[in-house]
Amino acid sequence: MLVYKAFFKIIKKNMAQIAIYFVIFLFLAVFLASIYTDPANMDFMESKIDMVFISHDKDSKLVDGLKEFIGERANFIPIANDEQKLRDALFFREVEYIVRVPKGFTQAFMEGEEIRLEKTVVPGSASSVYMDSLINKYLNTARLYVDNIEGLSQQQLADYISEDLSHQAEVLMLNPDPDKRLNEKRTYYFNYLAYSLFAILVLGISAALKVFNQPDLANRNLCSPLRLRDMDFQLILGNICFAILTCLIMILPSFVMYRGHMFTLKGLLFILNTFVFSLAVLGISFLTGNIVKSRNAISAVANVLSLGTCFISGVFVPRDFLGDTLLKFASLTPTYWYVKSNHIIGSMERLKEEDVRAILTSFIVMLVFAVTAFAVSMVLKKQKYMRQVRGF
Amino acid sequence: MVIKVENLTKRYGDLIALDNFNLEVNHGEIFGLLGPNGSGKTTAINCILSLLKYDKGTVKIYNKPMAPDAYDIKEKIGLVMQNVAVFEELTVYENVDYFCGLYIKNKKLRLKLVEEAIDFVGISYYKDFYPKMLSGGLLRRLNIACGIAHQPKLIIFDEPTVAVDPQSRINILEGIQKLNKAGATIIYTSHYMEEVEQICTRIGIMDKGRIIAIGTKEELKDMISSGEKITVELFSMDNKILEDIKGLPHIVSAEYRDNSLIVRSSKGKNNLVSVLDYLKSNDIDFGRIYSEPPTLNDVFLEITGKELRD
Ligand SMILES: Nc1ncnc2c1ncn2[C@@H]1O[C@H](COP(=O)(O)OP(=O)(O)O)[C@@H](O)[C@H]1O
Ligand SMILES: [Mg+2]
Repeated sequence: MLVYKAFFKIIKKNMAQIAIYFVIFLFLAVFLASIYTDPANMDFMESKIDMVFISHDKDSKLVDGLKEFIGERANFIPIANDEQKLRDALFFREVEYIVRVPKGFTQAFMEGEEIRLEKTVVPGSASSVYMDSLINKYLNTARLYVDNIEGLSQQQLADYISEDLSHQAEVLMLNPDPDKRLNEKRTYYFNYLAYSLFAILVLGISAALKVFNQPDLANRNLCSPLRLRDMDFQLILGNICFAILTCLIMILPSFVMYRGHMFTLKGLLFILNTFVFSLAVLGISFLTGNIVKSRNAISAVANVLSLGTCFISGVFVPRDFLGDTLLKFASLTPTYWYVKSNHIIGSMERLKEEDVRAILTSFIVMLVFAVTAFAVSMVLKKQKYMRQVRGF
Repeated sequence: MVIKVENLTKRYGDLIALDNFNLEVNHGEIFGLLGPNGSGKTTAINCILSLLKYDKGTVKIYNKPMAPDAYDIKEKIGLVMQNVAVFEELTVYENVDYFCGLYIKNKKLRLKLVEEAIDFVGISYYKDFYPKMLSGGLLRRLNIACGIAHQPKLIIFDEPTVAVDPQSRINILEGIQKLNKAGATIIYTSHYMEEVEQICTRIGIMDKGRIIAIGTKEELKDMISSGEKITVELFSMDNKILEDIKGLPHIVSAEYRDNSLIVRSSKGKNNLVSVLDYLKSNDIDFGRIYSEPPTLNDVFLEITGKELRD
């Protein structure tokens, strides 16, 4: 098992770089996962957004209703309608959101025309996204009534909407689930795990394979009586052991953080999901390790693959904020399926058949990734060998 | 016969790196493959060892056809490659142990062999160093230890002394002779004629993918028409005198450049005296005088019309 041992010595030599990603993960998992709150379930009463509401559309019940509705979630800051002052207020974060209702908005809206509110926001502000969704919610509801009930007066419309929306809010609040937060946290713990696991496996495995693929060392091994098949076997075994070890180490903190909750069906499913995912990542690492040549390129590839796939698959940003096209693209990465089954596992209450089917589908897709990446790299390796050595 | 190569031809695209290359190496030899950079030495070694596929020809090692899966032959061979091929991530000891382990499964025997090899090349002090921390010469010695630790019967050294300090060079050349005395057949490639002359029992001179002359160094020198080379420091010279010297018996050529008169004589004759007599009798003052026997460079020069040295 010389090759196997050498493989791990090479990994050991790259430990510093690998450990960084473990530390990042611990930070994400312990710190972020514990303060994380799903924006979709955020209680808006708690954090009111400072904003300016300017209406050029006087005497409109619809606009009044809107202002009242968002007023429950916002502090209206009285700032004169002066371009310079408003810009300063945004700049100094006195307000995060400015909305202007243009003249004739209500009339246009009631007649079914396409019309928009003008808004200015602090770039990158998360709460502005919630404010957008609040305003959209109100106007979409209004649009629904306007389109379906003819001759509706503004006052009636405003009443309908306010009743409707308060009703919805109540339904939301009447859903007390003591485990919900815990499940969310665990889901995010395992989602973050995808990032570091991906980076660590690509870094470690590519670094080791790159050494063995160096032309001089490869030739040196080739002229020895070591069988090629034996060498491949030991390298693959090394890869698998490294992947399992990495998984175990990264799952370990979850037992510290969630204790008994990890010994449940949910906990086991989270862990199983992680192992299946690691096989897919292993396949991809094996492929990159056989393609990528330089050390710098390996770090770059590790970063791009891990961060990129995690980003588009909704590890760092909730999926609702990602476009459909992006998500379609993301479904070409195993991370998408891992995150997907994490969410199903996290949110299911009992083991329902459709959940089982969805989780199994994700597992199968991830395994297909593993097998494909692996097969492609073996074919490439074989071709390279044949081109150089065989065929005379 | 240890190695028999017949009509080996290897092309890299349009370039013919080996052109009907033929070679026979006998048991117990230190066979030197001497040729300038790019003459095809490394390509020849790689083809012989089935590390590189070739277009035509046959290679037999220990009377068996060599092939990528001829593991029983590979077991008997040690290779010290032109480029140092060691693991940066393994220490000196671990490297030698790895490469020895490719051949020797028995742990106890391996332990002994690894220690011996490290000792042999004189890097015991650096056992726990990583290759990055070694100088060029020590790195080459490590490369050698990795190639010879399993005590192969046939050892191939591909330019093992490129870019090493004089001390390592001596260590390496002496080591190779010791290995040979201990029973190993050696193939040694180099573009340094002095080294090849110093240690090789038989020499093949390579140019453009072919062996252009083969034999012991004496045989090689006998093949050419010129014998000793006489160099006389002279501060002036007119053409008449140069022509006179060319006319002296046994003189093959004479030329004057860089304040020196260079005279080549036909072999076997001591012509120094007659040249000096001629100069004295014409009252020509001269400075230092050297007389050199022919070198492999002269052999190369006469066959190819160019210098071996770049
Ligand atoms: N992989 C390669 N591809 C193309 N040409 C090569 C390759 N390797 C060597 N050569 C060419 O083949 C010739 C012989 O090279 P080589 O065997 O390395 O010579 P030597 O070892 O005597 O210096 C040179 O002209 C070299 O440029
Ligand atoms: Mg060479």
